[in-house]
Amino acid sequence: MATLTGPDPAGRRLLARLTPGPGGWQVTAATVVTVAVALGLSALLIAVTGGSPSASVQALYQGSMASPRAWSNSLLYVAPLLLVAVGACVSARSGFFNIGQEGQVLIGALAGAWVGLRLALPGPLLLVVVLLAALLAAGGWAGLSALMYRFRGVNVVVSTLLMTFLAQQLVAFAVNTPWLLQESRLGTGVVSPQSNPLPENARLASLGEYPNLQVNGGLILAVLIAVAISLAMTRTRWGFRLKMLGLNPVTAQHAGVRVGALGGMALAISGAFAGLAGALLLTSPIGSHRLQPGMSLNLGWDGLLVALVARNNPLLAIPVAVLFGVLRAGASFLAATGVPSFLVDVVKALLVLAFVAPPAVIALLRRRRAGGEPAGTPPPTGGLPTPTPSTGEPAAAGTEVPAIDVPEASGSDKTGSDKTGNGSTGSEKTTMEGRPA
Amino acid sequence: MHTDDHTAPALTLRGVSKRYGPVVACDAVDLAVRPGEIHGLLGENGAGKSTLMKILLGLVHRDAGSILRDGEPVEIDTPQRAADLGLGMVHQHFSLIDPLTVWENVIMGDSGRVDKGAACAQVEQVAQRYGLPIDPMARVDRLSAGERQRVELIKCLRRDPSVLILDEPTSVLTQAESAELFTVLRRVVQAENRAVILISHKLAEIIAATDQVTVLRRGAVVFHGPTAQTTPQLLARQMVGREVSLRAESAALGMLPVERSGDRPAGDQPVDDRPAGDQEAGQPADGPAEPVTAGSPPVLRLRDVTVLLGELRILDALNLDVAPGEIVGLYGVEGNGQATLGDLLSGLVVPDSGTVEIGGEPVELDRAGALHTAGLGIVPEDRHRSGVVLDMTIAENLVMKSLAGVSGTGGVLSRRRIQQIARQRMTEFNIIAPSPDTPVRSLSGGNQQRVVLARELSAGPKVLIAAQPTHGLDVGAIEDMYVRLRQAAAEGVAVLLISTELEEVMALSDRVAVISSGRIVGVLDPAEATAERLGMLVGGVSH
Repeated sequence: MATLTGPDPAGRRLLARLTPGPGGWQVTAATVVTVAVALGLSALLIAVTGGSPSASVQALYQGSMASPRAWSNSLLYVAPLLLVAVGACVSARSGFFNIGQEGQVLIGALAGAWVGLRLALPGPLLLVVVLLAALLAAGGWAGLSALMYRFRGVNVVVSTLLMTFLAQQLVAFAVNTPWLLQESRLGTGVVSPQSNPLPENARLASLGEYPNLQVNGGLILAVLIAVAISLAMTRTRWGFRLKMLGLNPVTAQHAGVRVGALGGMALAISGAFAGLAGALLLTSPIGSHRLQPGMSLNLGWDGLLVALVARNNPLLAIPVAVLFGVLRAGASFLAATGVPSFLVDVVKALLVLAFVAPPAVIALLRRRRAGGEPAGTPPPTGGLPTPTPSTGEPAAAGTEVPAIDVPEASGSDKTGSDKTGNGSTGSEKTTMEGRPA
Repeated sequence: MHTDDHTAPALTLRGVSKRYGPVVACDAVDLAVRPGEIHGLLGENGAGKSTLMKILLGLVHRDAGSILRDGEPVEIDTPQRAADLGLGMVHQHFSLIDPLTVWENVIMGDSGRVDKGAACAQVEQVAQRYGLPIDPMARVDRLSAGERQRVELIKCLRRDPSVLILDEPTSVLTQAESAELFTVLRRVVQAENRAVILISHKLAEIIAATDQVTVLRRGAVVFHGPTAQTTPQLLARQMVGREVSLRAESAALGMLPVERSGDRPAGDQPVDDRPAGDQEAGQPADGPAEPVTAGSPPVLRLRDVTVLLGELRILDALNLDVAPGEIVGLYGVEGNGQATLGDLLSGLVVPDSGTVEIGGEPVELDRAGALHTAGLGIVPEDRHRSGVVLDMTIAENLVMKSLAGVSGTGGVLSRRRIQQIARQRMTEFNIIAPSPDTPVRSLSGGNQQRVVLARELSAGPKVLIAAQPTHGLDVGAIEDMYVRLRQAAAEGVAVLLISTELEEVMALSDRVAVISSGRIVGVLDPAEATAERLGMLVGGVSH
């Protein structure tokens, strides 16, 4: 059935399941166990592939935390990871899932590079403009997905994902096209597919200096944004509406939320933060201050994982981003010990599973114990004889009655509810184009 | 029953009973369906029609009684067995898969290799035999409701069933499509000597299309006979016919409207049982009703509200007025547009034409939250869908429609204020929960409903819509709801009660409006609402 109860009902259910509920200690305990298992498995994997687990841990530590210099390196990755994650939290909270951060990071970098190299603005003003340009460009880029959904009903998850590949092509085109952003030819040298380096006054300064701990301005910015978004999500009307929208778009619309506008805005915000992350890759000493095709370094994907592990909580995303930054910085050192560095990706994946699985499994178990839907769903005994008890949950209904009949008293005016099923998509336009059952 | 008839029944039910806990869904039902006849099964919501058919299809197991197929006792324990016995059903709600083509839908459930050519040929052959023109290669989501119905019929007929069961087949069809369907059914019956069971609540349909009719009420057969020898009046009375018991029960439950504010005549005198003819005389049946309340203009006014779904008119130029201080009961069989009306009044559906006026001002229905701002409160039919957010707390659910009242500058919410309001409402409306921070999901149905009611009533509405407000509630919660609704009316709120429960409508309403196929077919005083009159209106017969 083509019911559109929201941009992604399955994801929405997942979201509801991931939201910590009562009995959080069980989840915590289970998470500790699963993380231990994941670490054990990782060690086993390293041993099996011919490496030494202890040497690997040592290398990871050396590369990421052993010295102020290693820490500085780790923290450089934390800022973009955190920004992407905070954006992902916003979009996931609204139920309009954005998974195209990798592309939005590139679009942000592209816009930042163009502005930074073309506008000759004085002093730090250029930096501000570069960051703003990245923010706006990537926000607009993600906003395109919102528009596609609003006017053509294109699935948001699919469109944000596919736009990533478009973004990659755009960046590749820009750095291969002399009149766009390709670096200038110096003498007779070979021209690489990359832009010129950004001018000094478009680069982010750092606190502290080698060999001491060096904290780039980007990290401070990212943490401030994470805290601000966290406050906005938990303490303001906007955050309240966003949460309502994510958990039940129909009720949200009923309660006066402009579903399309708010969801589109959430998408744009999440894109904008990813774009800012892209600008950080350009302006902080993480790379060469040039626009390069592969410069996003999979930080868009990893940021999404950070949000997943942090269960869409921007504050929780800070320590998780640090963990992921540490793993990233350590990975380059790992290669030196003979262990293939892609094993770090495997470790990362195991860790993500370890963090994400417990709440889902516990919610599932709890649901089974309660026998379908907990207390909430009433059997429709409206005073008159009612046929089959219907809970409206396929899990419960599927036991006896195949999904071919609707009990008389379950309150479904099929045509009517389908019509509004569409209405809940949040676009007033589609509301009126209900699909026949 | 008519065991001595000329042909042996294709299908016989003897004393079939089914209980769900204390609820008797089928009470010793006897039914005999002969080949070559269309047998109408008439009854209101919850009369037991669906349960009976589920028993026949092997989806539900009966508690007692026997089923005979061509005179032989049979056990129908699985849907497969039902199909083997030649019982086929076309369901009320289409069970087609939209993005697939017609032939793919038709062979769904078959085993073995998929042979597109053969399937298409078979679809065309069946289509031609029964006059059901359809393109086997068409995608189902491009088809009209009538064409989908054809696909369902083909799906069923290709298995060559000797007993064909249709459950409310015309609920999504236009007039012309319905007529076409009945022509096909007649052909199936006459030319091929099959038996058809037609489940419906539409009197006109039963009268026009069936040979025999059985009326079910509260799970029991209350009438059986050849259609030619009945009248719509008689069937209507049989279908509803419980006005005497109804009043007594209401009184016992303490639901009788005894005292009311305002100067309206109290509608609590027992309904008399005059013969049908007297009732018919000179009653205004159609059109917008004049409010009973003298002098006060209606505060809720629906004007020619029309909602279309393709060609189908879900709401068809619906007119309804509700005056301050009165309770208007909107009664009708489920699926006649009530759910859409509820969604419209929740701001989830925008009408294709027509206006909703509150306090004399038309409401801009396409603006988010406009109805709430205009002073309309609603207890929606499906509270989980549009009434509450289950994973938010009681406090959050209580304030979600009036966030401006609990937030300061910059839209910062005041937690203290939210908690304070929540505690106050919980006491006031008797919401039983450990704390305001309890998620609504963990509350009982009655308490969830109280949360909705508390939110809607504390906004000080001019109009309160209660759609199936007692569905799924226990007796205590039901009574609580009735008291609240009556109290609201006494305080001058215009209350519209949308319900399929006749008892509820009769017990609470100052006026009863009857909805059928998206239209108000009549507005009655409860005193003049006899079983026959209601039955006729509910069955879509107005005059």
